[in-house]
Amino acid sequence: MKSAIRFAVDIGGTFVDAIAYDETTGELRLHKAPTTPGSPARGVFDAVGGLADRLDDVEAFVHGTTLGLNAILQRRGADVGIITNEGFRDLLEIARANVPAAHMYDFSYAPPPPLVPRRHRTGVPGRMDAQGAEVTELDEDAVREAGRLLVEERGLRSLAICFLHSYANPAHERRAARILRAAYPDVSVSTSTDITREYREYERTSTVTLDAYIRPVLNDYIGALEGGLADAGLTRPLHIMRSGGGAMTAELARRAPLMTVLSGPAGGVVGASFLAREQHLPKLISFDVGGTSVDCCVIEDGEPGEVHEAAIDGFPLLIPIFDIRTVGAGGGSIAWIDEGLLKVGPHSAGAVPGPVAYGAGGTEPTVTDAALVLGYLDPAAFLDGEMAIDAGAARAAIEAELAVPLGVTVTQAAASVFQVLLARTVGALREITVERALDPREFALLAYGGAGPLLGPMLAREMGIATTLIPRVPAAFSAFGMLMSDLEYEFATTVLRPLSDATLAAVEPAFAELEQQGEEVLSTQGIKPEDRKLIRRLDVRYHGQEHSLGIDLAPGDTAATVLSRFNAQHEARYGHAMPDAGQILTLRVRAVGKLAKPGLRELPATGPGRARPAGSRPAFDVATGEVTPFQVYLRGSLAPGHTLRGPAIVEEGTSTTVIFADQRLTVDGYGQLLVTGGEND
Amino acid sequence: MTEPLDGATVEVIRNYLVSVGEQMRRTLVRAAFNPVIYEVLDFGISIYNADLELTAEAAGITSFLGANDHAIVKGVEYVGRENLRQGDVYLLNYPYWSGAHSYDAMLFAPVFRPGHEGPAAYLAVRAHWMDLGAKAPGYVLDSTDMHQEGLIFPGTKIVSRGEVVRDIVELIRFNSRLPDLTIGDFHAQLASLRTGENRLAQVWEKFGGPTVDQAVRQIIEHGERVARKAVAALPDGTWTAFDYCDDDGITDDLIRMEVKVTIAGERMEVDFNGSDGAVAGPVNLPIGATESLAKAIYKELTTATEPSNAGHYRALDIKADPGNFFHAVYPVATFTQWSGIVAFELMHKALAQVLDSIPASSGGDEPGFMALGHDPRTGADYVISNNEGIGWGASRDHDGANAQQHPSQSVVRNTPIEVLEHKATLFHERLELIPDSGGAGRHRGGLGVLRQVRYLADGEVLSMKKKSKTRPWALHGGQESEPSEMVLWPETERAKRVGMYRAAMRAGDRFVNRTAGGGGYGDPLERDPAAVVADVLDGYVSAEIAEQIYGVIVDETGGWRPTPARAENHEG
Repeated sequence: MKSAIRFAVDIGGTFVDAIAYDETTGELRLHKAPTTPGSPARGVFDAVGGLADRLDDVEAFVHGTTLGLNAILQRRGADVGIITNEGFRDLLEIARANVPAAHMYDFSYAPPPPLVPRRHRTGVPGRMDAQGAEVTELDEDAVREAGRLLVEERGLRSLAICFLHSYANPAHERRAARILRAAYPDVSVSTSTDITREYREYERTSTVTLDAYIRPVLNDYIGALEGGLADAGLTRPLHIMRSGGGAMTAELARRAPLMTVLSGPAGGVVGASFLAREQHLPKLISFDVGGTSVDCCVIEDGEPGEVHEAAIDGFPLLIPIFDIRTVGAGGGSIAWIDEGLLKVGPHSAGAVPGPVAYGAGGTEPTVTDAALVLGYLDPAAFLDGEMAIDAGAARAAIEAELAVPLGVTVTQAAASVFQVLLARTVGALREITVERALDPREFALLAYGGAGPLLGPMLAREMGIATTLIPRVPAAFSAFGMLMSDLEYEFATTVLRPLSDATLAAVEPAFAELEQQGEEVLSTQGIKPEDRKLIRRLDVRYHGQEHSLGIDLAPGDTAATVLSRFNAQHEARYGHAMPDAGQILTLRVRAVGKLAKPGLRELPATGPGRARPAGSRPAFDVATGEVTPFQVYLRGSLAPGHTLRGPAIVEEGTSTTVIFADQRLTVDGYGQLLVTGGEND
Repeated sequence: MTEPLDGATVEVIRNYLVSVGEQMRRTLVRAAFNPVIYEVLDFGISIYNADLELTAEAAGITSFLGANDHAIVKGVEYVGRENLRQGDVYLLNYPYWSGAHSYDAMLFAPVFRPGHEGPAAYLAVRAHWMDLGAKAPGYVLDSTDMHQEGLIFPGTKIVSRGEVVRDIVELIRFNSRLPDLTIGDFHAQLASLRTGENRLAQVWEKFGGPTVDQAVRQIIEHGERVARKAVAALPDGTWTAFDYCDDDGITDDLIRMEVKVTIAGERMEVDFNGSDGAVAGPVNLPIGATESLAKAIYKELTTATEPSNAGHYRALDIKADPGNFFHAVYPVATFTQWSGIVAFELMHKALAQVLDSIPASSGGDEPGFMALGHDPRTGADYVISNNEGIGWGASRDHDGANAQQHPSQSVVRNTPIEVLEHKATLFHERLELIPDSGGAGRHRGGLGVLRQVRYLADGEVLSMKKKSKTRPWALHGGQESEPSEMVLWPETERAKRVGMYRAAMRAGDRFVNRTAGGGGYGDPLERDPAAVVADVLDGYVSAEIAEQIYGVIVDETGGWRPTPARAENHEG
């Protein structure tokens, strides 16, 4: 039988996760290798090599990389030159002039220096107006002179071009790019409208600057990756995850590197959306708990929330991404006493020194140390026993740093660390759902990431969430999610016209042009016509309002049908609809190329009829407030149909599921764990 | 009295209560109709305990910190605690009580719970309404008493036992030029209050009402301990400073504002009584507004990263006698409180005499503009505003930020050129940093910006600034910067320099909005020459100023040599 192995590789801060999914048997294997910052492709080869010697038979290969993100965060991108309109060279630096809310009361706040210093920014004559009409011709000699200054005099190898109102008419940007590419064929040239056709000049300038900043880095990396994987026998195209879900070919990723920068958490959301659809969970919250953060996304009817603007380190970028909200607390967060109150975070022990129990010099107790004290984690089985753990040191730190000052027992102090962490997480989930006028208790929770299965059932109890779903290999669920991606690309253009039948007719050529671009991209990526799908969408708002909503267009739609759908969505989202006229802000076309994907495969109900515990250990039960014996099960021994009653612990090396006295756990037909019950059930 | 709770339980409950405020904030922003609420963040949300002590808050911008604290006390006093019923909501915008101008409408609601005598908590949501019938549309720059500033509610029942009082809403409808937006925002505030009531009830149910009350007491005690400790670490003494606000909009006279700050052990006193008395125009500050700006600076010094509660301010005394510029009494005009923005940094100026961590002046105030007119392209009227960045003051450890919103509203964003040119008949000819605009110093003040705009059709411009006649202050031998200004019709015979001003513009007319740089810190001759060279290469500082003020002669290759003044200074 021909095997159909699909690979997905996800690079995190500390580890590279590679998974291999065998579609015919349903077998799912994970291998972790350390991240290799100096030569990032090597970590990928190491992780893949742990699963297969050769890749000749591999059916699909998807990769999520944080390389572009890290280049920005660590300021290790290219030196960039910016060409903009004469009189506007400081748009990047003036930005929106605002201070981040976290620094609201810091009256000597200094923002990080701009990515491009002022001496590397220059303006040229030429101007479009808000309707895209040319007011002043582009001065081509000035463009050549700008090139000479930035490339020959300043020695820059990557240029970014952004002109005012180019979203309405990109002709000047395109002409300037042509001139510069002709003059300097080896220099990378990025234009804002190649990446986004949305208005707001600072955001577009920031977007194209980030693109120019990471393009050379990504180009080298993808080249190294393609070479190494081809050497190992890979014949299928390498696909790279996009920040807004979906994947793209490596070739396109080189042309649009910015689309990869926030792809890390996207895999998990794609996977969660896939499960939501497959398992008919109309309301699902993805709950990804890592070492330093909790990432949540609301998924309704299988569709994750989306936004069209992201930010990295305060720099905005106009690309579509999932609406993922982050709480700055996770396994590595430090617990400390502030004038008698117990605080968890915002500081994290990180990978180095890490929790006290790692014995790497950490002295401040973390959430992980509390989990050891409470018996949730087995020191001997940590990361499959590959990591030595000093539970005694964890206990001593919790005692000295927390229990003594609080005047409580060590167990109470450790349990309190979880209570405070939960209180923060509960608040965050309520806040992201109240924005959409939803109640989190109507949702199911999909818990993944290394610490998700530990925190998920506890959080569900606290909030009255009825069901927590724990997928297979939860620690590598982000990589699994990548296997569920289609090829996707989004094209958008800002139009700003009143919503009317006349406008809908007038924008038809613009929509057709976007669709044409979509068709071209899909066709160059080898997608057959029958597997291509083009979805039209309008961003609509009330005239004079700032915020807009995306409305999918169906054939035969009129201004009236669009407005009525917009009114209904506005009512649901903002609590009211208005009698005002609508305005179209942006046209969007999403081009989807369907890729063959593995389905969820039912696993045989093998082995004994009942789950057999591998042992038991004392742990803290939040349902009873006492330390009691917990039955300990190995995840590998559980099979579909098995049911456990809490208190119980399920271990699988890279993560641990903990349920309490008032909860029960069922293994579903696909081998996933369903936790139900809890105080509000 | 309930037993004291452990520090973990208190922290858990504190997180729940802070989240209630945050959920109220998101509900308001979600449901608000006017961009002044969801873009300019002109709102304040507070939760109080049964004793009207602040439990948690979600402020829109920096200078609205504790904005409702004075108003809730006045409002409950006026209505009478015994008259409050479950489901009632009251409307208060009487400026001398609310601590804000008449268009900032505060709704407050008592929240009851079984087993608790009288209200167990209060919620307050204040937000900027678009129009309540003042003498002119938009902003009022020249009122001379309260009765020219719109309809006033002293604490009027607008929802009775859950039912909206139709008569009051109709009164608003018939008195507002923009009734739909105004009543829409009223409903957004109600939605925010309802979210707060529901979530507060959930918190009480989860932990038990008396336990939550006890936790709140401990949260406030904790806040007090942290703040007192921070004040105790500051040197004791008394320091006085003064500064000027341009004028009151009626006469051209400067307004002198003075503050005396005293630190004695764990307490701080801020006394504004040395300032001028009330003025005729609408720039007088109600005491509640004065308290907010004093609290913001105090917060910076004590608890900058913590959500506020009443305990934080227990060791702060604020003094301004009735009739003073900082304590407006009926019927003085209070509509245009830009004066409060100018006064925002006044405590800094006093404390800078003893604390070297205080930065120099951040340009003075918020030097934005509004544009009004009729757009012949769309046939619609437009009103649009822009908050303009300003140079921040240099500080002990670094240069001031370039073109950043004034600290009093630093989280608000400017309006993109592409949005301004779409919504209004404006055409930008220039928006750039102004070289040499940052006050010179060992650390340089941030740079201001220059925006040159041409009107494509007839319209109006409102220049918004109240610190254009006197210069932003510098520290420790640094240099002052040029103040903000707007120049109307530049480079014509009509050219006119203005501060706060309303002007009619014809198609083809131009204005230049020029914002101040930040004040400098320390002697410019002591500035690191490498920093001066970098400034010259980046065009932040001209070669002439580098030589004349900083004593650094920069050559074309980026090399440098000292002037005799710098060499002498170095040897001395």
